[in-house]
Amino acid sequence: MSKKNKIYWFEGVTEKGVKSLLNEEDSKFRWLRPQRNRRVLVILMAIGLVLTSMGSYWPTLKTNLNLSSEVGLIVYSITAIFVILATIGCYSFLRIAVRSIADAPDELLDERQIAVRNTSFRYAYFILGYVILALMVMMIFGPELQMFQSEGNNGSYVVIATLFACAALPSMVMAWRERDI
Amino acid sequence: MLLSMSRNPEEPVYNRIEEVRASLGLSRQDLADKAGVHYQTIGYLEREEYSPSLVLALRIAKSLNQEVSELFSLTPFKKGK
Repeated sequence: MSKKNKIYWFEGVTEKGVKSLLNEEDSKFRWLRPQRNRRVLVILMAIGLVLTSMGSYWPTLKTNLNLSSEVGLIVYSITAIFVILATIGCYSFLRIAVRSIADAPDELLDERQIAVRNTSFRYAYFILGYVILALMVMMIFGPELQMFQSEGNNGSYVVIATLFACAALPSMVMAWRERDI
Repeated sequence: MLLSMSRNPEEPVYNRIEEVRASLGLSRQDLADKAGVHYQTIGYLEREEYSPSLVLALRIAKSLNQEVSELFSLTPFKKGK
């Protein structure tokens, strides 16, 4: 009889999902585990975050590129969908690469894994401070942003990228730092 | 540098886990299952890259039928002890 799969809503993981990733027998994602591959994923994720945030500045970029509004809209829509899906894909692979340790609750981890997760959150918090600082500098000195407006630079992409960064940074730090996961 | 800060600046804890485990014919996974940790944590302990809590040290000692003092030390063990 199968045991009920507990869902950790706050952490966004399931008991079976984390246990399956922690189990080395599950070799489906072994190729993600070498530190080099994890670091490539972190770089791709960082590029995805930057590109997502750049979506807010598309109207300004479009003007600079001298694209017509029709061509601009098509390029913008295709690029936005591709970048966001690619970033979501990177984030999913990152979580798998670090066996969901960055998101798992204490009861599913051992004491070393808990220590690693906590250290990753500490570094992620520092880095997030710099991300917020960069955003503030961009908002002060960059092109003007507006929220939920059909015209002008739409600031919602910056918000989406920041939320992505909040969610992904602990996994990114862990994927970058840890020799063995 | 932010990302090059030392993970474990505290005094290292030396151990004989690998030696005793091998003498009992246990794999890392076997010991991990007995001690209730991930098998990689056993690897980190054996390489002395992670210092266990007192509870984990006691659990590992019990799993290997040893006293904690025979298994862990603040000074390096002599070879073949």
